[in-house]
Amino acid sequence: MLNYVLRRIGYGIFVVLGVLLLLFILFFAVTTPEDVARKALGERVPVAVIEQWKVNHGYDKPLLPGPGAWRDNMLVEHYRRMLTFDFGRSDADDVPISERIKSGIGPSLALTLPLFILSLVVALPLSLLVAFFRETYIDRTGVVLAVLAMSVSILLYIIGAQYIIGRVLHWFPISGFDADPRVILRFLALPILVGLCAGIGGDLRFYRTVFLEESNTDYVRTARAKGCGEARIMSRHVFRNSLIPLLTRVVLAIPFLFMGSLLLESFFGIPGLGAITVDAIQGNDFSVLRTMVYIGSLLFVGGQILTDLSYGLVDPRVRLE
Amino acid sequence: MADWVWSNVVVALLLMGTGGVVFYARRSRMWTETFSDLWRRRRFAVLVIGFYVLVALLDSVAWVGGMDQGEDTVARYEAQSILDRLFAGSQERSYSAPFADVEFYGGAPLTHPGAHILGTDLIGRDVLYLSLKGARVALLIGGLTSLLAIPLALLFGISAGYFGGRIDDVVFFVMSTLASMPGLLLLIALIMVLGKSTVAVCFALAITGWVGFCRVVRGETFKLRELEYVSAARALGVSEFGIIVRHILPNLMHLVIITFVLMFSGLVLSEAILSWLGIGVDGSWGQMIDQARNELSRDPIVWWNIVSAGLALFGLILAVNFVGDALRDTLDPRTLRETE
Amino acid sequence: MKSLAKRFSKRALFLFVLLVLACTNNPYPDADSDKKILYRSYVEAPRTLDPAVAYTTNAHAITGEVYDTLLEYHYLKRPYELIPALAAALPEVMTLNDGWTSYRFEMRKGLLYQNDPCFELDGPGHLTREVVMEDVAFELMRLADPEVNSPIVEPMSNIQGFQDFSARLMARREADPAFSEQPLPLQYAEVGPIEGAKVEGRYTLTLRVSTEYPQILYWFAMPFTAPVPWEAVEYYDGDEGRPSFSDHPVGAGPYVLSEYDKQSRFVLEANPNWYGVLHPEWKAPAATYPSEGAPGDFEAGRLDPEMVGQPLPFIERIEFSREKESIPLFNKFLQGYYDAAGVIKESFDKVIHEGGLSDSMEESGISLEKSVQPSIFYIGFNMDDATVGSEGGERSRKLRQAMSLVVDTDEYTRLFSNGRGVSAQSPLPPGLFGYDPEYVNPYRLIDLERARELLAEAGYPDGIDPETGRPLELTFDTQDTSAQGRLRFEFFTRAWRQLGINVKIEATNYNQFQEKVRNGAYQLFMWGWIADYPDPENFLFLLSSEMSRSVSDGPNTANFQNPEYDELYLEMKGLPNGPRRQEVIGEMLGILEEERPWIELTHSEAYSLFHKWLKNVKTMGMSTPMTKYRDLDHGLRAQKREAWNRPVLWPIYVGSALVVALVIPGIFTFMRERQ
Repeated sequence: MLNYVLRRIGYGIFVVLGVLLLLFILFFAVTTPEDVARKALGERVPVAVIEQWKVNHGYDKPLLPGPGAWRDNMLVEHYRRMLTFDFGRSDADDVPISERIKSGIGPSLALTLPLFILSLVVALPLSLLVAFFRETYIDRTGVVLAVLAMSVSILLYIIGAQYIIGRVLHWFPISGFDADPRVILRFLALPILVGLCAGIGGDLRFYRTVFLEESNTDYVRTARAKGCGEARIMSRHVFRNSLIPLLTRVVLAIPFLFMGSLLLESFFGIPGLGAITVDAIQGNDFSVLRTMVYIGSLLFVGGQILTDLSYGLVDPRVRLE
Repeated sequence: MADWVWSNVVVALLLMGTGGVVFYARRSRMWTETFSDLWRRRRFAVLVIGFYVLVALLDSVAWVGGMDQGEDTVARYEAQSILDRLFAGSQERSYSAPFADVEFYGGAPLTHPGAHILGTDLIGRDVLYLSLKGARVALLIGGLTSLLAIPLALLFGISAGYFGGRIDDVVFFVMSTLASMPGLLLLIALIMVLGKSTVAVCFALAITGWVGFCRVVRGETFKLRELEYVSAARALGVSEFGIIVRHILPNLMHLVIITFVLMFSGLVLSEAILSWLGIGVDGSWGQMIDQARNELSRDPIVWWNIVSAGLALFGLILAVNFVGDALRDTLDPRTLRETE
Repeated sequence: MKSLAKRFSKRALFLFVLLVLACTNNPYPDADSDKKILYRSYVEAPRTLDPAVAYTTNAHAITGEVYDTLLEYHYLKRPYELIPALAAALPEVMTLNDGWTSYRFEMRKGLLYQNDPCFELDGPGHLTREVVMEDVAFELMRLADPEVNSPIVEPMSNIQGFQDFSARLMARREADPAFSEQPLPLQYAEVGPIEGAKVEGRYTLTLRVSTEYPQILYWFAMPFTAPVPWEAVEYYDGDEGRPSFSDHPVGAGPYVLSEYDKQSRFVLEANPNWYGVLHPEWKAPAATYPSEGAPGDFEAGRLDPEMVGQPLPFIERIEFSREKESIPLFNKFLQGYYDAAGVIKESFDKVIHEGGLSDSMEESGISLEKSVQPSIFYIGFNMDDATVGSEGGERSRKLRQAMSLVVDTDEYTRLFSNGRGVSAQSPLPPGLFGYDPEYVNPYRLIDLERARELLAEAGYPDGIDPETGRPLELTFDTQDTSAQGRLRFEFFTRAWRQLGINVKIEATNYNQFQEKVRNGAYQLFMWGWIADYPDPENFLFLLSSEMSRSVSDGPNTANFQNPEYDELYLEMKGLPNGPRRQEVIGEMLGILEEERPWIELTHSEAYSLFHKWLKNVKTMGMSTPMTKYRDLDHGLRAQKREAWNRPVLWPIYVGSALVVALVIPGIFTFMRERQ
């Protein structure tokens, strides 16, 4: 068991190192620090100032290890900084990236956590219901509605919701954010609603498939033949035994809660990590962008390890070796 | 030879290729049954997809000359597709509502009163025309990306699954690395590096998209390799390559089909998001939606742009999703579930 | 299962109740509605609030309120007129013989900075201190410091010894690393002062400026030259949890930046230390509501007798919220949650109908304030390019003239800004000296026939490039990759296609675009310029040789180089406004008319929309915020907001009914099946 855990973690580290290498290729080898500096400082800047900027941001070293710079080069520096979580300052406005991340996590979680819980609370019972009434009109309507909901671009959901609910019906503010607990709910209502609509189709379809498959297994049929009530079968057997695929999906979603949602945050003016990332994309702020990719992969790898380990907890048949 | 000749040749080759595949598939009972079943259950969706493909074809066959484009004198030297020719000269100066006789602002008379079923956009282009043209772009995004991603996934998936060992280690590592990076961000980073063009966007989408399918292929190949007839073939001295081509690949075809259909809708929807970030493909529905986004604040509102583009996008995705569902139900009840 | 469902339904009910309670679209705390708070928005946080560096409109919206300057523009009078602000009077000007002119500024006595912990550096317990002329001199030295990287080094170099100081400072820093570790004030004290900026006593500053550059005074109405306490620069170094100076302004202006979250919100509060608040009895011109203005101000209610002579400011707080997307911004304005829709492009499409307010807007009491901004938008040709540039001589000139003749600016403004903007005939916008309303540029008329003739004369009959036998291909480079931007460019390329010229749009990202500009690998580009100060020099320098991009990395991106023009430019720069200057400007415009380095598009018009509860609105054109003159009626605002934003609840009832209608048959089916 311990052996497995260690091996799993070791492999995770290996993957993270790979991610970092890819990031280095994408962000250093292709875009020169010169470009980034000019973008940040403006066009009419003396060379001396650009050099100073490069020193301040640690971009003044040779790119790759080579004679005279086996240790002191950007590749090594990139690994060192990322692995020690020393993200440095934003290319665009010199704010420490760690500070920015700290300020963004709160709003991101305020949006994604309720959204995540709500979508579970809504999608699971609904899909159980649909699976329960399989092959009836409820099932068919449910599936058609799910496919309909999946086929709409999230952009249209957002634009439509802002227009109809915010502007025409005056239910909630069209956008904005205020962490004050007295008013926070009114800002979150609309993005959560949109996120729910956009995600529920896929969720419903996925969970339904899982439940249906499970309810076609031999032991469920046996239980049914024994005269077990359908509701009992659903909750006792089907739901329990579907936990592994459910867990895979759910645990893997958790890391992305921290990353926020790019579109929702950006459109609804929620200053979370997603909005920060979009800003970085639009402002070519590479240092923020690569930090966000790195953190995202770190969380993902961590989540994956947790998922693998949790299989053992949920299903005693799974042995971790 | 001019570019447009080549693009026509490509279209012709694609058509011939499709014809060949259909001919080949007709000989196999499994495929004929699958498709007759699909036709029975999802006739409407199949027809809708057929319509989109037809429109895209009309927009792909192009040649130079033989038409008057009015004020646009450069157009005489450019290849114009059948679709372009159908809508030739439908240009107005600015906005007009569906079926309107006058311009939206100012009320100046239109050149073609009442002829614009879906109105015109800000610089006076017919919205129906633009929405139809979007079909080709969407199919191109979905098609080209799949053409890049699926062979890639097959190549790596089969070699990893079949040969195992070191090859498998390397492929699996690359897969885990790519899979663990946030998809959209990786996509954006790639496009920033590759530059903004249709091919670059498709390429980036392919790089981020092949991993999921590759994992499935690897798993399936793993299973297939252990099957008795494969061992038998090996014992009989059939070359590795021969085994892969004769025994492994055909048994993966159903997965390829389903993946293609399922991936397709995801790709077209992702492109819409890329358009919003300013790195989409020119002429796509995503771009139309983005262009029309701010027009909702006009008074009275200009809704026909965004609604047309949105519906065109929705229609295609919906049809593809229905077909994909049906295909999955018939062809493969289990394997692909994990890829979602 | 049942208990689970019950729990879920309980929770859902709870949430539903919460949501209904939350059902209001007011984005602000309810308690704030009875305060005089001005609500504004911003798209992107400014990169820096350092007054020596900040050069954008969105940064000036903050720095302009926080940093008061020696001079200021009169709020109402047009053409623009300078009035004293922190200075007791306009400076005494004296022309010296040796090519220098001296300006003697007197500062008011007893001015205080805002309260700020940085003043503890003067001694424990100190919250503020007096504003003195040394602080202005200090700021001038910061402008000259190459490490500050101020964008206005070039014009300020007209101050005697400005460049010298800069060079001395750099030399000293390079020679002695220990020197550069010292606090900035000490470094400046050691190397300084700037020869042409002499401080006498606490309150007097005498500047010696090149006589050729009388425009220098305008810079003293901008935050660049505001007095800055050295304590703030020293204290806010970005270490140990202190923000950096570029995120924490400390000034002597009417407002104080009290909250600064770049991602979502800025708050400016009235500054209790401001001289207008402390000393209303001074009746200082920049701290009292003016009694005279331009024609039309009285009719527009801007000279309300109740206002005239009142001490400023009226508004106690300014809140900026971030709005990245223009629809939400605009909709919130319509709902009364923003008091004015700012100067953002698309935001007011809804209300502007062919240049005027639409009826529905007028009904809801929204007013429109138009003013032409001292700005120019243009399409430029790269004059270093072989095809469109000066190398091609007559042939290229005719090509440029032909291309200029088909770009319909009226149509462009009509489509893309609802008629907002004045078609430009030359680089000079209305309201500036040298602008001639009668002047019509013969190459800015729309004349397709003439354009085709010129094109044929240029050797491209029907746009056909004789070398390839196909339509002439040019590229239009831009860094705007957005879908909306593309529409604009397609508008232009369509016009040129009528001539048979095939202009390709090359939308690349910022880096690739800059790279192209650096390498000179571009043909056409679109650019804009907003004046720093209302003088023709600030526009005509954009085409002088010494500003050319390829030579000095200057803003003359067209790389236009014409000796005759340069000579006239130098003469015009030093001339006072008068007939001779008018004549010289006329000749310069004549050269531009013929040479066509630019296709002038528009002078943008600022359309400010504001609700009727906002008072004394007059747009400034230049990025000089003047919130202290504005007032608002918060009672009326609260009332209107409530009337405009009653939640429409019937869809909830209909929706619930639908759900019930869907579920009940399901239950029946279930019952039936169980039996």
